[in-house]
Amino acid sequence: MRSRDSVPAANMAAEELPSDFDIVILGTGLAESVVAAACSRVGQRVLHLDRRSHYAANWASFTFNGLLTWIEEQKEESKPEKIEDWSSLVEEGEELIHLSNSDPASITNLQVFSYTSEEEEADEPNTIEEEKAAGEDAVKESSETESAGSKEEEDAGPAEEEEPAETEEEEPEADQPPTSPPSNQSEPVRKKISHAQLVKEGRRFNIDLVSKLLFSRGSLVDLLIKSNVSRYAEFKNVTRILTYRHGNIEQVPCSRADVFASRQLSVVEKRKLMRFLTSCMEETEEQTAYSGRPYSEFLRDQQLGESLQHFLLHSIAMVTEDTPTEEGLASTRHFLRCLGRYGNTPFLFPVYGLGEIPQCFCRMSAVFGGIYCLRHSVHCLIVDKDTNRCKAVIDSRGQRISCSHVVLEDSYLDADRKRTATPPRYLSRAVLITDASVLPSDPDQQISMVTVPPTTTGGPSVKMVELSSSTMTCIPGTYLVHLTCQSVGSAHEDLLPVVTRIFRTTEPQEEDRRPSVLWCLYFNMADGSALEVEGHRVPSNVYVCSGPDGALGHEHTIRQAESIFQKILPEEEFCPPAPNPEDIIYDGDNASPGEDRAAVENGGNQEENQEKEGNQEENQEKEGNQEENQEENQEKEGNQENQEKKGDQEENGVNQEPEE
Amino acid sequence: MSMEDYDYLFKIVLIGNAGVGKTCLVRRFTQGLFPPGQGATIGVDFMIKTVEINGEKVKLQIWDTAGQERFRSITQSYYRSANALILTYDITCEDSFRCLPEWLKEIEQYANNQVVTILVGNKIDLVDKREVLRQRAEDFAQAQSMLYLETSAKESDNVEKLFLDLACELIREAKQNKLDNNDTAPMPGEGKTISYLNCCSLN
Repeated sequence: MRSRDSVPAANMAAEELPSDFDIVILGTGLAESVVAAACSRVGQRVLHLDRRSHYAANWASFTFNGLLTWIEEQKEESKPEKIEDWSSLVEEGEELIHLSNSDPASITNLQVFSYTSEEEEADEPNTIEEEKAAGEDAVKESSETESAGSKEEEDAGPAEEEEPAETEEEEPEADQPPTSPPSNQSEPVRKKISHAQLVKEGRRFNIDLVSKLLFSRGSLVDLLIKSNVSRYAEFKNVTRILTYRHGNIEQVPCSRADVFASRQLSVVEKRKLMRFLTSCMEETEEQTAYSGRPYSEFLRDQQLGESLQHFLLHSIAMVTEDTPTEEGLASTRHFLRCLGRYGNTPFLFPVYGLGEIPQCFCRMSAVFGGIYCLRHSVHCLIVDKDTNRCKAVIDSRGQRISCSHVVLEDSYLDADRKRTATPPRYLSRAVLITDASVLPSDPDQQISMVTVPPTTTGGPSVKMVELSSSTMTCIPGTYLVHLTCQSVGSAHEDLLPVVTRIFRTTEPQEEDRRPSVLWCLYFNMADGSALEVEGHRVPSNVYVCSGPDGALGHEHTIRQAESIFQKILPEEEFCPPAPNPEDIIYDGDNASPGEDRAAVENGGNQEENQEKEGNQEENQEKEGNQEENQEENQEKEGNQENQEKKGDQEENGVNQEPEE
Repeated sequence: MSMEDYDYLFKIVLIGNAGVGKTCLVRRFTQGLFPPGQGATIGVDFMIKTVEINGEKVKLQIWDTAGQERFRSITQSYYRSANALILTYDITCEDSFRCLPEWLKEIEQYANNQVVTILVGNKIDLVDKREVLRQRAEDFAQAQSMLYLETSAKESDNVEKLFLDLACELIREAKQNKLDNNDTAPMPGEGKTISYLNCCSLN
C-alpha cells in the first residue's frame, strides 16, 4: 500500500552503492538519524541504510492504510534467513558477524479492534458523502480486521479477571450489527464515520508507533534549534494538560494564567498552588529534609489539599507515589522551566507526527552528502581479527563496502550479542481513533496531554496524548489518542481498563457522553531504555542504538546519539548550525562547500539570543508569581488577550503567505 | 532579509530521477549559472530568489532532493507543506519518463492535495538525442492535470518562464483561496517552525 513497496527492483538496480565510506549506519530510528546528521555535518562520508521500506524504524508514523499494512507485516512469520556464503569476499585475517534481517522481537501482542459499521448506512443523515467510491476496498479490509479482532477478543477475554463486571458488557462485539442510533436531542450529533471513510481518507492520518512529546526546553528542542534541523519541521503547542481523577477528565492548571483562570480551584487553592510553584524553583532546607523520602509525602505535608497534590504529583512532576522528593522536585522544576517558552504548556508536538523528526535529521545528513537507501539490507560485518575492528560490511547484493565505523539499530544484532536488562522490559501501547475529545471544548482543536494515575495499586500509570486534526495526524471529526505505559501484562491487559473507563466501545447509550472508539490497536514494544550502554559483544568500532523508550521526552535518545558521536569523533562539535541558505555567499561558479560554511553567519549567535530571551521570560514569570495577589479578573482578561494575540500569530505561520 | 521584504512566500520542491537536471534548473534560475559537471550541492538546503510579479514581491524557496532520489529514498517530510512541485524528467532518457507514474504516487501519498504540479522535460538542447516526444509528454501531463513545459537549463530556455509561471499560478491560487475562504481542511503549513513559536512567546 505504500508507494515505495511497488517500485520495481529494476529501477533500483540501475545504480550501485559507492563502496567506501567513513561511517555505515543501519536503521533510521531517531538515534541513528541524529548520528547520521551529526557525522555528515562535520564532513564524514555517511551511508545510511534501512532494510524497511519506510523511514524511522519503530519511530515511524503511518497513514491509516500504511498502518494496516504494517500490522499485516508484523503478523507474518519471519522467514528463516538464508545464510549466504560470502567467504569469497573475506580476506586473510578477517571474520564475519552475521546480522539479523528481521525484527521479530520488538513488536508483540498486536491486537486490532474495529467498531465502525461495515456497511454504509444510507439512512444515517450525518454520514459524510463520498463514501461510495472507496466502499468495495474497505469492506474487504474491514472484514479482515474484524475477524482478527473478534478472534483475539476471545483469547484475551479471561485475562481481565480484576475488571469490574461492567466491563464485560463493554467488551467490543466486532460483528454486532449496527443498531438504530438513539435519538440525540440536546447533544450535538456526532458525525458517524465508517470504516470505508477511514480507509478512503487514510492518507490524511499520520499514526505514530511511539507517543512522545517535546519538552520545550528538552534536549531534542535544543538540538533542533542548535543544528537548524528545526527548519524541516513545524510544531504545535500542546494546548492543555488534563488528568483523570474520580472518574472524570479534568484540566490541570499549570501556567500562571491557567491557575488564575481555573474554575475548579478555590481562591485559597490558587494562592497555595502559586506559592508552591514559586517556592519549589529554589532549593530550600525544607526540601532537603525530605531527601530520600517520597515526593508524595513532601506534597502531603505542604497543606495543599487533595486536588493540588494530585495535579502536582501526577500531572506536573509526572512521577509515582514512591518517587523520592529530590527527583519529584527536579521533574517539577523541569516542567516549570519548559512552561511559557512557546505556550501555556511545556510541550510541543510536530505537525504530521513524531515520525517526521528522524526524517528531518536524515534530510540534514543528505544535504551534507549522506547517501540514503531504504529497502537495503546488510548481511554481515567483516571484522579484522587482530584489531577487533569492523573494516567493512557486506550488503544483500554481495557488495563489500568498507568503513571505519558502524552504527546500528539493536535489532540488527542477534540476541546473544546484546546486553539488555533482565527480565526484558516492554512498553504497552494503544492507538485509538475516536469521534470526540475526552474533554470537549470550544475551540475543539485541542492537543491534550492526559495523565492517568494507576487505577489499581501497583498498576501502571498511563500517559495519554490526544491529537486533533490540527496536528495533521487525523481527519477532521476524529481524534487520535495514544496511550502508553510500562508493561505489566500485554498491552491489551494493561490499557483496556483505562480505555473502557474513558471511552465507549459500544453503541451509545443515553447520557453517555464519552467519546466512541472507531478503531483501535494494541501492541507491546520493546523498551529502548532496557538496552545497556556498554557490554555488547561487538567490535570496538560498532555502536548500538536502542529503539524508543517509555519516557515522555526524548532525553534518553538524544543523549545516546551524542555519546555515540563523541566516541566516533571526539574532536568534533556535535551538530553545529547548518548555514542558513539565505546567508550563503556563492563565490562565483565553483563555490566550494568549505568556503560556503566559512562565509556563513551561522545561527550560533541566534541561539544565544534565544537563550537570553528565554531567561527573560523566566524572570518575568517569577516576578509575576510574586504578584500573585493581583485581582483575579484582571488576570483573566489579560489571559484572554494573550490568547487572542497568539491566535493571530498562528495564522502567520512560516509557510503561509503573509497578509497583504 | 527581513520578513517584510515580500508579499508572498512559496515553497517549491523539485522531484524526478537522478540526473535529469533538477539542480541545474535551480542554479540556472537562482544564480544564472550552468555548472558543468557540478557535483552534489553539499550543505545547501534550498535556494531563494525573490521575483516581482505585477508589482508584488514573491519570494521563492526552491528545495532540492539532496540526492535522496538516487535510491528512491526521499523523506516524506520533504513533500510536506510544498506549495508547488516541479516533476522533472530528461527528454533524452526514456527511463526517466517511465518513472513518472511512480513519482506521482509519491506525490499523491505525501504532498498536500492542493499542491500545484508542473511536469518539466529538461535538456531540450540535446534535441537530436530526444527519446520522449513532446506530444507524448503533453498527453501524459494533461491526463494527470499537470502543466507542462520543456526547458534547457544549459541554454536557459524556458527556465525563467518555468518559475515565473509557477509563481503566477501560486498567486492566483492564493488569492482564490482567500476569496473562497473554505477552511474545511486544515492547510499544511499551519504549524510553526520553532523559531516562529519562539516569537510568539515574547508576546
